[in-house]
Amino acid sequence: MADFSDAMNITASGMRAQAARLRHVSENLANVDTPGYRRKTISFSTVMEAGQSTGAVETGRVRLDRSELDQIYDPSHPLADANGNYDGSNVNLLIEIADAREAQRSYEANLKIFDQVRQMSTSLMDLMRR
Amino acid sequence: MFQNLEMFRTSYAMARHSGTRQAVTAANMANADTPGYRARSVASFAESYAPTSTSQLRATRSGHVSAGALSSPPEIQFSDSEASPNGNSVSLEQEMINSVEIQREHSRSLAIYKHSLDVLRMTIGRK
Repeated sequence: MADFSDAMNITASGMRAQAARLRHVSENLANVDTPGYRRKTISFSTVMEAGQSTGAVETGRVRLDRSELDQIYDPSHPLADANGNYDGSNVNLLIEIADAREAQRSYEANLKIFDQVRQMSTSLMDLMRR
Repeated sequence: MFQNLEMFRTSYAMARHSGTRQAVTAANMANADTPGYRARSVASFAESYAPTSTSQLRATRSGHVSAGALSSPPEIQFSDSEASPNGNSVSLEQEMINSVEIQREHSRSLAIYKHSLDVLRMTIGRK
């Protein structure tokens, strides 16, 4: 029984982490045209308890991608410099879409395991029924 | 069969084993995108507790210590599948297959348990 609740907690932590990732992806996508926006990334790590890995996953701090910002040529833009360029965002749509798809896939996998654990514990409970 | 209820013990151990395996699979699945995470695995019930004629000591009394008894916790190993560039060696497909197999094993053990229980009830004259 303890294994089942462990498994449920772990898959829930996985789904939480993937949802947090998807949230940052959607922030990045929403700000793809915001001047000077740097894309946000989060890291995943295993939760350690008393030196042992519990198996659950947690998200680390939000970091900003330090790569070059896009230079966009538009002399009429209020932020344009002397050469007529202004800083765009460094969001790459293709990377974000791929990231979102991967997060979705992992989320679904976790959900599937959650459902299976639930079914297993339900069938265990059914034993008590006559 | 009913002297020591061996069947109940075995099916109970099998159900518990599949619970543990499912927890390990859940941990792998949750960490499918964690950099540097190594996938873990537990051998199936049959593999873990198969009696080997040479290695196992004969227990003739209940107080005897026996190696590989049903009550001993299963061993967790690191699977040595190929890691992706970020050092993660979880294969979602493999974990999916494992989890389905574990679920089937679990329901099988529960079916055996339930059936034994039914037989036991029948012997004492209840339905």
